Amino acid sequence: MSIRTESQDGRTLLHIEGEMTIYTAADLKAQLMPHLGQDGELEIVLAEVCEIDSAGLQLLILAKREATRNETALRLSRHSRAVLEVFDLCNLAAFFGDPLVIAHSPNG
Amino acid sequence: MSTSLDQALQTYIAEARELLEEMEAALLRLESAPDDAETLGAIFRAAHTIKGSAGLFGLDPIVSFTHIVEDILQRLRDGNLAVTAQLIALLLECGDHMQQLIEVVAVQGGQLDATAHAHECGLRERLYSYQQAVTEEACMPVVHAPEPTIEVCDEQHVSSELWHISLRFGPQVLRNGMDPLSFLRYLNSIGSIQRISTLSDSMPPMDSMDAESCYLGFEIELQSDAERATIAETFDFVRDDCQIHILPPHGKIAEYIEMLQQLPEDFSRLGELLVSSGALTPQELERGLAAQENPSGNQPQQLLGEILLEQRVVQPAVVQAALDKQSQLQEQRSREQRYVRVQADKLDELINLVGELVIAGAGASLLAQNCQDEALQEATSVVSGLVEEIRDGALRLRMVPIGDTFNRFQRVVRDVSQELGKDIELHISGAETELDKSVVEKIGDPLMHLLRNAMDHGIELPEVRQAAGKPSKGNLHLNAYHDSGSIVIEISDDGRGLDRQRILQKARERDLISSTATPTDAELYNLIFEAGFSTASAITSLSGRGVGMDVVKRNITALRGSVELDSQPGLGTRVRIRLPLTLAIIDGFLVGISQASYVVPLNMVQECVELSADDRRATRERGYLNLRGEVLPLIFLREHFNIDGSPGRRENVVVVRCAEHKAGLVVDELLGEFQTVIKPLGKLFSTLRGISGSTILGNGAVALILDVPALVLQITRQASHAAQQPAALSICAR
Amino acid sequence: MAKTVMVVDDSSSVRQVVSIALKGAGYEVIEACDGKDALNKLSGQKIHLMISDVNMPNMDGITFVKEVKKLANYKFTPIIMLTTESQEARKQEGQAAGAKAWVVKPFQPAQMLAAVSKLILP
Repeated sequence: MSIRTESQDGRTLLHIEGEMTIYTAADLKAQLMPHLGQDGELEIVLAEVCEIDSAGLQLLILAKREATRNETALRLSRHSRAVLEVFDLCNLAAFFGDPLVIAHSPNG
Repeated sequence: MSTSLDQALQTYIAEARELLEEMEAALLRLESAPDDAETLGAIFRAAHTIKGSAGLFGLDPIVSFTHIVEDILQRLRDGNLAVTAQLIALLLECGDHMQQLIEVVAVQGGQLDATAHAHECGLRERLYSYQQAVTEEACMPVVHAPEPTIEVCDEQHVSSELWHISLRFGPQVLRNGMDPLSFLRYLNSIGSIQRISTLSDSMPPMDSMDAESCYLGFEIELQSDAERATIAETFDFVRDDCQIHILPPHGKIAEYIEMLQQLPEDFSRLGELLVSSGALTPQELERGLAAQENPSGNQPQQLLGEILLEQRVVQPAVVQAALDKQSQLQEQRSREQRYVRVQADKLDELINLVGELVIAGAGASLLAQNCQDEALQEATSVVSGLVEEIRDGALRLRMVPIGDTFNRFQRVVRDVSQELGKDIELHISGAETELDKSVVEKIGDPLMHLLRNAMDHGIELPEVRQAAGKPSKGNLHLNAYHDSGSIVIEISDDGRGLDRQRILQKARERDLISSTATPTDAELYNLIFEAGFSTASAITSLSGRGVGMDVVKRNITALRGSVELDSQPGLGTRVRIRLPLTLAIIDGFLVGISQASYVVPLNMVQECVELSADDRRATRERGYLNLRGEVLPLIFLREHFNIDGSPGRRENVVVVRCAEHKAGLVVDELLGEFQTVIKPLGKLFSTLRGISGSTILGNGAVALILDVPALVLQITRQASHAAQQPAALSICAR
Repeated sequence: MAKTVMVVDDSSSVRQVVSIALKGAGYEVIEACDGKDALNKLSGQKIHLMISDVNMPNMDGITFVKEVKKLANYKFTPIIMLTTESQEARKQEGQAAGAKAWVVKPFQPAQMLAAVSKLILP
């Protein structure tokens, strides 16, 4: 698991790559925390998340809750198939409120 | 059953047989050391594994019977039951019955017949008598409590047709490897989640939130035809540290209210949540709340406790004290068990191939020698060396310690001595001595017979022994050791010994010896291995019908072995069996007579002596050679096998030794050492004496393998007769 | 990608049947014959679930669980213990060590599959 940070038009983009599971959760939380209290729009890109479990999900919920509390904007984007499956299972699409795009297959 | 499952079943059968053997051995050990926790552990584990694996294959008769045995063993282990001789006897019988169950149920796929079934019932009765009050529960088949019938939709019930499941996972769940999401996925496999709300209210602020703790909760509306038990079982693994509420379709409103009160979140927020998810209608929520405030005479509250699935497993605080000791035992056991299980045919095939390799190698060496090419000869000699190592290695693969066979007799000795009213102890030594598996398999029966014979005829009744000034307990010794390329197995007892007079009388009656001959003790005693010879005055069910000792001898001879007996009147009898280590390959010494080649097993060859021209005439007349002052009887193989042609220019004597006897084989040529694969002779030649097999030489010619023990026995007998009856001297020269 | 299950049991027939059942359901299976063997076979690859017997030579199931809990890459792996109803004390011990799931021996392959699929689907 790794996080790649990118700035774009005043937004911060966090690309989470690898697994968001109990094994990486502590590390992920530590890397995520500095970004959560900050001003400005934050976008977490989930395209490269290959696996996500309850521990990973909790961190996304935490991020959303912190953003709401600080009244900053948090966007989750480009959800990978694994993330979409979990959001669907837990009926969390509305909670996060981000547009979900079903990934196309390349020829579709 | 699919092939792979069938293979697994075969594995199970082999495993179970092995475990039963171990169990029996351990039970016998328990007799002398009733408090030994290791032994008890081994017995328990054997029964435990047999039962556990039987369940996998649906072998219910085995599971059901072994379960009771296991329960008794557990009580023994826990110290709730004492080890007694009766209990051990019962458990041994149970082991036998389990064996029978394995054979009938697992091997044949059948059912016990009426007799066996009746026997089992008897065993069960006796086992029950050892179990105390608790048993009834254990024997009762598990019956699921009937589902409470659901009354549809009166005032007190909700209208929802869905199950409502409320989950609050404990903080440790994730660390324990459980992922709440996986339970949701599982619910989707036994039904379909219609609506779900994910709650994270218990998650603390960012700084104190622990990423490895679980803060999740779910309120679920599940559509499912599954029974309550099935749904509840979903959460078996997390029940201890989670709050779980399962409400059936059309559940009581009061149950919902009760649940809402128990949940950690804000009451009204949850109530709204349930209303919005369709679990409750606003009216139902209102009515329920009202009922809570003014409890009437009906007692829904009490019911709640029963219906809400709040399961806390009672923890009996039992601590395994002997853990360290057990792990020691397990280490020892694992050392014994670090084996690869290989099918015997595969090994046989390998050994066969190695045999061919040996022959082919010999052929190549022969060609190399003829070529006079030094480099080639060197190369082939390296190859020969390696082939020899491979041969030894391959043969070692098939070597097993004889201990397993020996240990099986503990039980026999125990049972037989009880039956005979004698007190007999079996002492085993040399259990680690190894020999070929194919030999081991065939030696069991002869050994069994010899042991029974010793117990029956050799060892006296306790009173008799005491009268003779001996301890009342009789001793049987089984011993094995390696000796000049053979394995020797000794069975000795400290009984009354053989009755020389009676044997002599019997032998004369049966014309086995002439009425005037006075045979030596050894000769006389070995007559009991002749067919139809029995001196027992009392015939018992075990032995003594005169069948047996000759069969024993025949079986041993068929293994290229020999048997001899010596006895001291009043002190005991010892039977010594000598067997080749393997039946497959021998190191041979090749000799030639005219054009024919013969192989003498190398381990029997002592030395070779050239016969000088002078000696030749003298020895031919005398039939023996003066070997450094020792009389060496000679066998003239040319005459013995009726080989045409005149003796070669030179003759040689191969001095062979078998057991205590020596003899000289007179041959033309000494062709040197030669390792060879034994090819058994066909049935046609089975009556041929003096030949034990054949082999193919490197050049393709056939060589016969000499049965040295038979030849030596023949000549020593003749020689000893000759000593008494000089007229019979010419036997060797036909 | 198929989920990988490690089966640890000293009875080869149990291993065989369990792995036939699991493979049939679409799991990958790694077999080990005792705790020590199992630890030796943990070489960094992802294991999604472990099934372990309690009574085993060399290293018993409880010790095995304790050892797994020390390994950074495997400490959160769900573990199903195989116990018998007569071994309540051992089961408690296993749970205390961190193996919260169990299947009671003797079991049918279907029961094992059900237990496994509560924890991971293939």
